[in-house]
Amino acid sequence: MDKNLNVWLDNLLQEIEGIKFRRKSTRRVRIDVAMDALPTLLELLQGRASYVHLSAITCVDWPDDGEFELVYHVWSYETQSLVSAHTRIPRDPGVYLSIYDLYEPAAFFERDIHEMFGVFFEGSPDMEKFILTEWDGPPPMRKEFDSEAFVNQQFEWQPYHPDWLKELEEEGGGVTTRPEDIRW
Amino acid sequence: MKDIKKIEIIQRPPPPEPARRTNPLARVFDELVRFCQSRSMFMLHYCTGCGAIELPPAMTSRFDMERLGIQPMVTPRQADILLVTGYVSVKTLKRIILTYEQMPSPKYVIGICSCTVNGGMYWQSYATAKVLKDYIPVDVYIAGCMPRPEAVISGLRALMEDIRTGRGDAWKKYYQNYDFYLGNQQRLFGEKWQTPTDVIAEAHHYGMMTDQTLGEHTDLLEQNEVPLDALRTRLKARTE
Repeated sequence: MDKNLNVWLDNLLQEIEGIKFRRKSTRRVRIDVAMDALPTLLELLQGRASYVHLSAITCVDWPDDGEFELVYHVWSYETQSLVSAHTRIPRDPGVYLSIYDLYEPAAFFERDIHEMFGVFFEGSPDMEKFILTEWDGPPPMRKEFDSEAFVNQQFEWQPYHPDWLKELEEEGGGVTTRPEDIRW
Repeated sequence: MKDIKKIEIIQRPPPPEPARRTNPLARVFDELVRFCQSRSMFMLHYCTGCGAIELPPAMTSRFDMERLGIQPMVTPRQADILLVTGYVSVKTLKRIILTYEQMPSPKYVIGICSCTVNGGMYWQSYATAKVLKDYIPVDVYIAGCMPRPEAVISGLRALMEDIRTGRGDAWKKYYQNYDFYLGNQQRLFGEKWQTPTDVIAEAHHYGMMTDQTLGEHTDLLEQNEVPLDALRTRLKARTE
């Protein structure tokens, strides 16, 4: 029965025009879908094919294409398989529909993506700060955010050979493996 | 590890002799107090980052920290040692400073893992503070990623030795150089940063005011100081 469900779903999804369907293994399916069709697809998967568990929403930044890629991972306990629905939204203005009405846990993932990538989800219950409560810079997971430059500007560094280390070295401690001795 | 005495301790020269006191027994008494202090320490059970995973074996029967007189304690108000075990994100650093200021003096800070020394493997991260001793004074660093329980115990032995010989006085630096520490804190947390503890009043109380205690940063603190209310908990009921 379980295997039949998978076959039916495969057949059905292959019939739909405009989406790219690829079964990667017995338990994984990848679907590429246009941004305006994704909520419908998820509704179909949830309501008709028992994909009731939203595992995660991930976001990938493609600055060269000017797009964000959103990946919705949904899992079915009946067919024991995971569908990853990929969609691409334009980077500017970076606004998309929330799927909170379909999957309630989406609120957390959307809030997280909003914080890390700056994508705004319309209809999501809370777009406040989530983890980075002390942060008021640009969304840090965007590719154009240069973490190293920010760190160099924001923080002081520990000198490599401070005075207190010299004291320790006189007593026989200190750096035992120098950078030139490290075997890479 | 059967015999404590076999754990090697780095011997350091004793601190300079203090000026002669009137009471001839004072120094004897001080030494006794310091000896007792070094043999009975409560370690705050507050852990950050990943180095905390080395503490359960160090505390429990395998390496048994308690034979050194060190016990975990659940509240900062009754603790002597603050262990910072691993990367310090900016968010955590706020809590560490709040915790540190609540601890009664004398208090000791041990920075475990490379991350507290120079950022470690998170040196490039936008979210972690790199050098812990810029924000609070640190007594002992235990480097390594992560240090084994033997190293932790050896670091604690070094701290005990420092306390016994009267060298473990990093906590005084916080009062003596409060302006420096506060300046670094303000740089990360913004100008409005303040804590419930009145450090300047405590510095007065302990008689540790120096010309480094007050400065431009403490002026800024006094300008922006607002009375603190109890923290509010926000529970948002979902509207169907």
